[in-house]
Amino acid sequence: MQEPEFRAVDPRRCFLLWFVPPLTVFVLGLVVLLVSGHITGPFRNVTVVRALLASKRDFFQDEQVKRILMARGYQVHVTPAGSRDLARKPDLDSYHFVFPSGHVANEHVKTRRTGKHAVPFRPFFSPVVLGTFRGYAEALVRAGVATPHDQGEQPLYYNLDLQKFMELVEKHKRWNDYGAANGNRVIIQSPDPCKAYSGAVLAGFLASARDDNPPQTVEAAEDLARRIKPQIDAQGQTSEDMAPKYFAPEGPTHAAIAVIYEHQYLAHQLEKRGADKERVLLYPTVQHQSTPELISFTPEGDRIGELMMTDPELRRRAVELGFHSLGWNGATEQDFAGHLSERGVPEPPSGERGRVALPKAELFERMIDVVGDCR
Amino acid sequence: MRILLAVLLLLLAACTSSTPQPVRLKVLASPELADLGPVLEELKRATGVELAVEHRGTVEASRSLAGFDLAWLSTTRFLRLRGAEPALSTSIMTSPVVLGVKPGKRAVLGERPTWADVADRAAVGEFRYGMADPRVSGGGMAALIGVATAAAGTGAALRTEDVSCDRLQGFLTGRVFDVPDPIAEYARRSDVDGVVAHESELLSLNASGRADPVEIVYPRDGIVLSDYPLMLVDPAHRAAYDRVVEWLRSAEAQRMIAERTWRRPVDPATPRDEKLRADIGTALYFPDRQEVLDRLLLFHDRAGDGRQVIFVLDYSTSMRGARIAALREAFASLNGFDRFHVGETVTIVRFAGSVLEERSITVRGRQDLDALLAVVASDDLRDNTAIWAALDHALRLARGETTVVLMTDGENNAGPSVDEFLRVGRGEVPVYPIRFGEASAAELDRVAQASGGRLVEAGAKSLLEAVREIRGCR
Repeated sequence: MQEPEFRAVDPRRCFLLWFVPPLTVFVLGLVVLLVSGHITGPFRNVTVVRALLASKRDFFQDEQVKRILMARGYQVHVTPAGSRDLARKPDLDSYHFVFPSGHVANEHVKTRRTGKHAVPFRPFFSPVVLGTFRGYAEALVRAGVATPHDQGEQPLYYNLDLQKFMELVEKHKRWNDYGAANGNRVIIQSPDPCKAYSGAVLAGFLASARDDNPPQTVEAAEDLARRIKPQIDAQGQTSEDMAPKYFAPEGPTHAAIAVIYEHQYLAHQLEKRGADKERVLLYPTVQHQSTPELISFTPEGDRIGELMMTDPELRRRAVELGFHSLGWNGATEQDFAGHLSERGVPEPPSGERGRVALPKAELFERMIDVVGDCR
Repeated sequence: MRILLAVLLLLLAACTSSTPQPVRLKVLASPELADLGPVLEELKRATGVELAVEHRGTVEASRSLAGFDLAWLSTTRFLRLRGAEPALSTSIMTSPVVLGVKPGKRAVLGERPTWADVADRAAVGEFRYGMADPRVSGGGMAALIGVATAAAGTGAALRTEDVSCDRLQGFLTGRVFDVPDPIAEYARRSDVDGVVAHESELLSLNASGRADPVEIVYPRDGIVLSDYPLMLVDPAHRAAYDRVVEWLRSAEAQRMIAERTWRRPVDPATPRDEKLRADIGTALYFPDRQEVLDRLLLFHDRAGDGRQVIFVLDYSTSMRGARIAALREAFASLNGFDRFHVGETVTIVRFAGSVLEERSITVRGRQDLDALLAVVASDDLRDNTAIWAALDHALRLARGETTVVLMTDGENNAGPSVDEFLRVGRGEVPVYPIRFGEASAAELDRVAQASGGRLVEAGAKSLLEAVREIRGCR
């Protein structure tokens, strides 16, 4: 005998069938977002770390970097300033850490922090380079002052003979003397040397083209500064932060040759997978590797510095953003060239040739003050 | 169950970031930014920050930002010249200062004109334009810098010593108006050939249909690019400033700015209309001293109608050959920036033993310049040299602001002597003698000094340089 079937419809079960799958998706998503640092949960404290940054703010303003730091419980609040400006800020002590772009400013900051908490970290370096456009690079090749670094049809890197280049500049040559449609004088445009480290380095480049032996006395430094000053003054008013302008579609209008950092260029090309054939770099005969220092003033700053040195995700991202990473012992790490070539970007000639011999810090400072009429 | 769900939803709502406190900030902005209304509405909705905007010309606004929380000007350059640039500023969008030209008048300027071409056509009355007042507006000042840089021709940033008055005058001769809102004035009038303004304003004008579409000319020798930085004036508002900047640089806001206001987005990834992809060419190096701008404005204010230049030219027989040829060449090469311009009165007095010919022309167009050249081309050279009689004659012709240029190669051997000439009071008209060959330097110098002028050696500098240096305004 067959028992009558009773199908009891359980309303709760019905609801759960409807409700559980989306809830699962939601919960899983929430967990993923929390872990990856996209959002913060109610149970995690996020420490806001206040930082004064020069050109290296590119790193802390990167979305992925922000996410990685957020996942570690930190948010870096960025205040931008040029490196030399940064070292003189009256409110320097109010930050958790600062990150000037180069040696002179690094030392200045450490001097000001004498007797107080000041822990330096050197997570990476990047050379100062000259960003230009293919038409201008080719004009310089025609002028006999630049040579393509690699043999391809559209080389991204050129070597620039600074001494010969300086002769063009001193003879007041124009771009249209070498077949580029521009009546302006051939000069390099940089940020204000009084404020930005890259602007100061340009003065160092031009000075070394005039005299390979760095000056040893204040008088010699001032004299050399006066010799190169007209070539820096010709650009008129400087503009801060040349990189964003250089990479804008109006880049060639902003400047024919702009002083930038190599990492800014590589980050751009890595993002485009090497497809931007218009923007090319000039590497001066003598180069300058700027070694930015993260100088921490507090335990929170220390923690960011340690993460920069040890966190594998942050360090991988630094390479993706075009930095040459450095380990605790100061040695380069990671396969920089391999990483670039995987993404269609040829290896730049950084570090292949001599380094510019900059004068001692106090003489260099004096030189810059004369060149820039710094107040 | 339902209650549980409701609690869960409430909890979630509490977790998501709540809308920040509404804030109202006082902003000083360039007048052309009045078109940002819809963008600012959206900004307020997205960030809770309301910008209460007061508009003022960029040059004028740069004199003081006091009393404002933020400033949003076409550039920080004028502030920086005064050392008054706020520490935090972020470029939001760009637009070049260019020339909008009525299609029918486009051909007058030539194929790829420079500022020099524009000044040249303006000087002879063939191109009439409007612009904003450079004492107030960044756009007007950009045009003056463009013309002055082109005139200096150094290929570098303008220095004080490069600014010359007569070259600005030619350009300014063609200016019909310098009102605060040149676009509206241009749209209203039919007797103007073009207008100096931002590319964004001209594209908006074309899109609005308020006037016949203008053609946009990007002067080949260099434009000035405005980059519209948003500046934090009062550091107390840092948090709100950060929110505003973040939103304005977001993909959504950048697209809205490009679509609604025809400015070029700073984010390279933002899609652009074809018109915002036009090649804007080279930028001028921008002067780095306030004195340069002060001098530009000084000459700008002095430029005007009704000036007179009197040339007293020695046509005695000793001038025959190379000297007279040099004199004619100097006149023929007065073109472009050195051209006589509309409204200027040019008088030529040819003399030998007596005044041979006197011709006065108030320049109204190109044909008047040809007539002047015809006078100089005369082969009527005579004996004797009555320098002081001729100069006396010339000074009687002076009306209003006048400069006299005297070119001679000989000793005075007819008419009154220099002592007799100087015995009579000569008023305020400066005399600039240009000395050729054997002329007495001592006598010419005495006359120059007495009048407030200066002796110029024709041999030391080229004659053309000498003429350029001494004509025009003081």
